[in-house]
Amino acid sequence: DIWGPALSHVLAGIARPLLQSGGRSGERFLLSKPLSHPDFFNLKELFSLKDLFNARVHLGHKKGCRHRFMEPYIFGCRLDQDIIDLDQTMEHLQLALNFTAHIAYRKGIILFISRKRQFCHLIESTARECGEYAHTRYWQGGLLTNAHIQLGSGVRLPDLIIFLSTLSNIFEPHVAIQDAAKMNIPTVGVVDTNCNPCLITYPIPGNDDSPTAMELYCKLFKMTIIRAKEKRRQREIFDELRRKAEGK
Amino acid sequence: MAGSRLQKIGSVFSRTRNLLRIGVIEKPLWFDVYAAFPPLREPVYRVPRPRYGKVKDVIPPIFYQEDQVRARFYRIYGSGPRPFDLSQLNYKSTCQRFVEKFNELKEEGNIEEEKLFEETGKALLADGIILQRRGTDRVTQEDHQDVGSRDSAIHLQLRTLLEEMQEGKKDQKEQTPERAETQKEDPLPS
Repeated sequence: DIWGPALSHVLAGIARPLLQSGGRSGERFLLSKPLSHPDFFNLKELFSLKDLFNARVHLGHKKGCRHRFMEPYIFGCRLDQDIIDLDQTMEHLQLALNFTAHIAYRKGIILFISRKRQFCHLIESTARECGEYAHTRYWQGGLLTNAHIQLGSGVRLPDLIIFLSTLSNIFEPHVAIQDAAKMNIPTVGVVDTNCNPCLITYPIPGNDDSPTAMELYCKLFKMTIIRAKEKRRQREIFDELRRKAEGK
Repeated sequence: MAGSRLQKIGSVFSRTRNLLRIGVIEKPLWFDVYAAFPPLREPVYRVPRPRYGKVKDVIPPIFYQEDQVRARFYRIYGSGPRPFDLSQLNYKSTCQRFVEKFNELKEEGNIEEEKLFEETGKALLADGIILQRRGTDRVTQEDHQDVGSRDSAIHLQLRTLLEEMQEGKKDQKEQTPERAETQKEDPLPS
């Protein structure tokens, strides 16, 4: 398979049945109730500012590499090295994890993308453990925009794309960012000080080069997705039992 | 199935909302979630234009009060005797211990400002950390004076050389008429 193990066979073959909840009240119980709660999956207990600091998430690149649009997210410059504002990172991370959890709760397809060879294996194993998908190899031009021809007709595209590094191998923005914007797919992405955060729906300003930082992100995303899926399973079982009780 | 591939106009949400309003698309999975929890900044495309003219750096530099002590420490003692072990999270380097001892002695207030640095060195020696002096004591005016004195030395040398050359030329001028007188029969240069 020329374009990596995950993408093509997964998207083409395994179709996830879109939600089928019986009746209006069931739908409200399953879908809209979680949205009214600000932190339905209790994700703020998963990470703290100390954890982010110890994982070296606040370290950016040198002053010369700074991207103009990252300036609001940078705390200061220590001897020419940019330091990212971890307070802002906490807020952005909370929003991004919450969004991911809700998408996973609604049985959406999540795709992890990163073009860093150092972490390719880590990301693929993370995706495998969550039951989601990853694409850490060369990105062919029309994978999203020309999907029906390249991957076969009737392909279901991802509902969320998570970028663990928004740059490609040549330090330019990954093609998938603009492709996702074209196909109206929301994106979550870790943006470093040399990245462009404009087109990413939920950016997370943070370091994308240290192994500790990447392991932290992978751990957080894996835990949120697993939590969300567990919650969904429990709610469906509860719904089943309730309907059986009502039916009787 | 309709869609909007204009990523440079509006955000993903605004385009999807407008398509839904027309009725050409069915509601995607993420729409309600985005509406309930929108991001802090709407993801609209911005053109990354470079700045022209004089560029003002909006990011403040990070400096602490202890940095003055640290700079002096590194100037005199070079990098400390022990290498940094970054694998430990709460590792305290020699320089950090020096700074903490300096602050302690400063708060006690018994020692005067100029002596404080040497006193800290002695206190660390008492604790068992040996510091080897590698550079001269830090006063930037000394550097300027060195440069000035070096320049003036060079100037002095150049001046003496010039004087010698001028004297040499005068001697030559005095000599050449004599030689011209003596070598009238021989106009060719020897």
